[in-house]
Amino acid sequence: MADTIGTPYVGRAMKRVEDPRLIKGLATYVDDIRLPGLLHAVILRSPHAHARIGRVDVSAARAIPGVVAVLTGADVNAACGLVPCAAAIPDLKAPKHTVLAGDRVYFVGHAVAVAVATDPYIARDAIDAIDVDYDPLPAVTNPEEAVKSGTPLTHPDLGSNIAYTHVVAGGSDIDEAFRRADRVVKHRLCHQRLTPMPIEPRGVVASYDPGEGTLTLWTATQIPHLLRTLLPGMIGVPENKLRVVAPEVGGGFGAKLNVYPEEALCAHLAMRLNAPVKWIESRRENAASTIHGRDQIGEYEVAVKKDGAILGIRTRTVADLGSYLQLLTPAIPTLTGLVLTGCYRIPAVKMEIVGVYTNKMATDAYRGAGRPEATYLIERLMDVVARELGIDRVDLRLKHFPAPAEFPFATSCGLTYDSGNYQGALTKARQLANWDQLLKDRAAARAAGRLSGIGISTYVEICAMGPSKAMPAGGWEWGCVRMEISAKVTVITGVSPHGQGQETTFAQFVADRLGVLMEDIVVLHGDTNVAHYGRDTYGSRGTAVGGSAIVMCIDKIVAKAKTLAAHLFETTADHVVFEKGTFRAPGVTNREIGWPELAGEAYVAKNLPAGLEPGLEASSFYEPQNFTFPFGTHIVAVEVDRDTGHVAITKYVAVDDCGPQINPLIVEGQVQGGIAHSIGQVLFEQTIYDENGQLLTGELMDYALPRAADIPEYILGSTVTPSPVNPLGIKGVGEAGTIGATPAIANAVLDALQPLGVTHLDLPMTPERVWQAIKTRTAAPVGA
Amino acid sequence: MYPAAFDYKRPATVDEAVALLVRHGDDAKLLAGGHSLIPAMKLRLAQPKVVVDIGRITNLSYIRDTGGTIAIGAMTTHHEIDASKVLHDRSPLLPETARHIGDTQVRNKGTIGGSLAHADPAADYPAAILALDAEIDLVGPRGRRTVKAGAFFIDLLQTAIAPDEILTEIRVPATARTTAYVKTEQKASGFALAGAAVVIGADGVRVGITGVAAKAYRATGVEQALAGQRTPTAEAIARAAAHAADGVQPLGDIHASPAFRAHLAQVNTRRAIERALSRA
Amino acid sequence: MCEMKLTLTSVVPADRARVFAALIDADVLRRCIPGCETFTAKGPDTYEAALKIGVAGLKGTYSGKAAIRDKQPPDSLTLGFEGKGGPGFVRGSAAITLSADGDSTRIVCDADVQVGGLIAAVGSRLVEAAARKLADDFFRQLSSELSTQQQ
Repeated sequence: MADTIGTPYVGRAMKRVEDPRLIKGLATYVDDIRLPGLLHAVILRSPHAHARIGRVDVSAARAIPGVVAVLTGADVNAACGLVPCAAAIPDLKAPKHTVLAGDRVYFVGHAVAVAVATDPYIARDAIDAIDVDYDPLPAVTNPEEAVKSGTPLTHPDLGSNIAYTHVVAGGSDIDEAFRRADRVVKHRLCHQRLTPMPIEPRGVVASYDPGEGTLTLWTATQIPHLLRTLLPGMIGVPENKLRVVAPEVGGGFGAKLNVYPEEALCAHLAMRLNAPVKWIESRRENAASTIHGRDQIGEYEVAVKKDGAILGIRTRTVADLGSYLQLLTPAIPTLTGLVLTGCYRIPAVKMEIVGVYTNKMATDAYRGAGRPEATYLIERLMDVVARELGIDRVDLRLKHFPAPAEFPFATSCGLTYDSGNYQGALTKARQLANWDQLLKDRAAARAAGRLSGIGISTYVEICAMGPSKAMPAGGWEWGCVRMEISAKVTVITGVSPHGQGQETTFAQFVADRLGVLMEDIVVLHGDTNVAHYGRDTYGSRGTAVGGSAIVMCIDKIVAKAKTLAAHLFETTADHVVFEKGTFRAPGVTNREIGWPELAGEAYVAKNLPAGLEPGLEASSFYEPQNFTFPFGTHIVAVEVDRDTGHVAITKYVAVDDCGPQINPLIVEGQVQGGIAHSIGQVLFEQTIYDENGQLLTGELMDYALPRAADIPEYILGSTVTPSPVNPLGIKGVGEAGTIGATPAIANAVLDALQPLGVTHLDLPMTPERVWQAIKTRTAAPVGA
Repeated sequence: MYPAAFDYKRPATVDEAVALLVRHGDDAKLLAGGHSLIPAMKLRLAQPKVVVDIGRITNLSYIRDTGGTIAIGAMTTHHEIDASKVLHDRSPLLPETARHIGDTQVRNKGTIGGSLAHADPAADYPAAILALDAEIDLVGPRGRRTVKAGAFFIDLLQTAIAPDEILTEIRVPATARTTAYVKTEQKASGFALAGAAVVIGADGVRVGITGVAAKAYRATGVEQALAGQRTPTAEAIARAAAHAADGVQPLGDIHASPAFRAHLAQVNTRRAIERALSRA
Repeated sequence: MCEMKLTLTSVVPADRARVFAALIDADVLRRCIPGCETFTAKGPDTYEAALKIGVAGLKGTYSGKAAIRDKQPPDSLTLGFEGKGGPGFVRGSAAITLSADGDSTRIVCDADVQVGGLIAAVGSRLVEAAARKLADDFFRQLSSELSTQQQ
């Protein structure tokens, strides 16, 4: 389709405008920033999970030529404040989180000292020359053991390993539900610990201008604006003298939705040493000292009637928080509770969450944050209930779906699902998967002695975060649109895309709404001196919330332009029609005014109506009235190799409903990436600490990320149910893939093993675990 | 990420390289394709004082058909082995094995000599080299000597190469089509949890196993069980393959227990024999 | 995986008394411990050591302490050790029992070894095999030391 004004961009699978610079190596990441006099910081990290720090001898390190400073916690902590946690949980016990360790280290990778030198090799040499005496202490590594009395403590000063106990509950009386039940189905389910592993690790460059008293911080982050809000309290630079820049950011997956010690530390070093300072995280540091995800263990009980009606779910879940609270650490498991009922009408729910400190890296938001946990739990439980009651698992799901007419649908956890047609997505997925044929193929494969399985999951999730009353620090979004004097359009957003493609999607709908060419639009983001305000990118909020702020700006500009056009047409604004970038006043004049003329008039400002300000620019804060709730159905077919335990995905069908799609190519990319995360989580990814708290998955040699060859051909479809809560009708799609996919794949593997009587496997379902499960239930001939 | 300081030498000939090894002794380390050494140096697990880059020595990269055997220069990359028509036609096990190594970038840079000299217990080539009963040429200050594959792998990361010697050439026999390499990958690294290379010829079956123990080994129990059987039955193959991990102490780590590695050795041996026979 | 329990057995050509004496002799230990650069007595049965150990080119420098306790000559002793260096730390203990095996002595070493830091994070797959190899090297050297003394 040719790019002409008036031909809609929205709905077209446009290639991303971001990609050429990424593909050609022309993008600027933090490590590409070079400043005159730049110093390089390298951090010494603890090899112990828990130890008292004795003597620290930095004299040899300081003596190395080229070393500018070698500093420990005693030198910098007072000036760097405490690393913040923004989650408000009642009665939360929190350790003081200093930027460098004080007298103890609490996890392998805990920052102990920093060396700054004229080049990174010298700084690295200096680290090797620091001599630290550690007095090892017992490490807390098993969260279920850690809650028992008399066990060693992660933080002895807190007196307990329990950070909080929090109950998420709602609906009718849970005890009554279990009293009325014909049967209680019990199942234990765990989410292993995962490492987000963005391809670009973290990195910071800090530069201080002593004349201006201003500090500029370039950091590989998802949240430049939240950093600008939170860092001043740590480092003492006022907010209006702090500029935070998120340059090109190579993936985040939640790992860069945080305030990290190194950000405050580099800022402090730049001021202290009066020179710009760069710190680039190594892959090994990224594995050890950037947040991890998931790590929840729960015992689940489902109250059911004989006919399959689910009366209630209750659980006690232990969440392994690691040793410190990062920005949202304690809040993530509570999100699980909020959406635990999934897309089902379940009258009563109660989730008791016990947040536990262990001598590991903190857990926090990782792609899907709380919702993949919930979806995996409820979708596994639906299969378990269906099997125990001998009910078809699809029928059981259908039985509990609200009807499309029942939306907005109030859940027992207090959420109001905006819109939905769960039956529609399920039906479409079954069509795309050729469900009846799949069942026949499975029967034939089983008859031939093969282990063949089909998995299904139907999911709903929480996106477009979110209404400010439900968010820790404002859930609104800011935007600005400027029609320049040249009729080029500058769009500035307070969200901070790092792979989501909003330079493309925002330009698509702005072009349509303003009637300009996409190539005449530039979308700016990620620099607090450019995008003055914002709440950044996480929780699938970028387009639904950030895009809505842009829509508000467009509406303001068009309204102002109509006023100006009316003045030029010598009529009133209500006679002005705006269409495809042209202003007309039918019945008044045949004259047409396009943006170039109108923008010229607005800025030259010689002929403005009385009271109209010059310029054509508008900014807006958009406050979402509710979250959005995307949904869908994933269907997976697998075949398990009896001899090796290897799981092969033979078919993957996903139908996702994220509302209207601005760019189907980007939606598809997001879904594909999300499913890849789930393939990793279900089949091989896991962050492993041994019982002494040693991290054993410290490099990509041992942490198994999914690769291209692990990804099957996807059959992707969609249904479109607009959200009534924002002007674009958009629900969000950044996390949907991984939310829907994890249980679908897990259910498929267990379905394949069902003929052997295997009812449960822990995640990840590695070949060895699968083989063990097969072996214990069959007497395999030797060598077979 | 940042290696310790080192001296860099780039000899033009094997003799110059040997002289550097003699001069610097234990402080020196040879750099071939760099796919084991450089990551280890970046992590500072290896801190050689002198890196001797043999990448510019001419005439160390070739694949030559010399009649009964094919001679391969030590600096021949995995990709060149995979792409070699001579090997495909005359001794196809090595190209099949090369295809399993790492990814495209690794195969474009990594060399057969570097891989064998490093002797990672989970590298792919050692299984094939053992099954092919290859010969390996080492050049040192005392001249050239030839080591049979069976005597080459000594222990974990340890080979018959003396500290002042350079591996210069590998010679593999021309074989029938009845060869195969079957491997289960360690999911993160792509190295072998268990890889079985099989050569079936008129003189019997030879099986090399990698990934399972501290060094690659010949599964002689399997070979003996199949001795004299030109077309063994499926049951005979399975019975023989059950000996694939006999007498070795399997490694265990987070990726596979010793029992699972031993089991995979058996399964992959069986499958490799079946696949090799299917190519007859 | 980075906490290992290893049981190693070796037969050395000397009687128990001589083996026992060798195992508490700082000079013998310095010569037999792979990569041992210094091994100095710091007090009764306590030593400080500097080692350059590893396998092949993957070597690290460690400084550490060793202590011999629970001496029951000539039957058993326990060796405690801890070392730290660039690649991380190693600590643990080895319960060593000696029994007569003809003219020789059978040494059974039950070691409990913990490794941490870089070697745990990136080298766990090789750690146990490396530990076995180092122990084998030690016993081989000890054997040769004792047979040399014999001659």
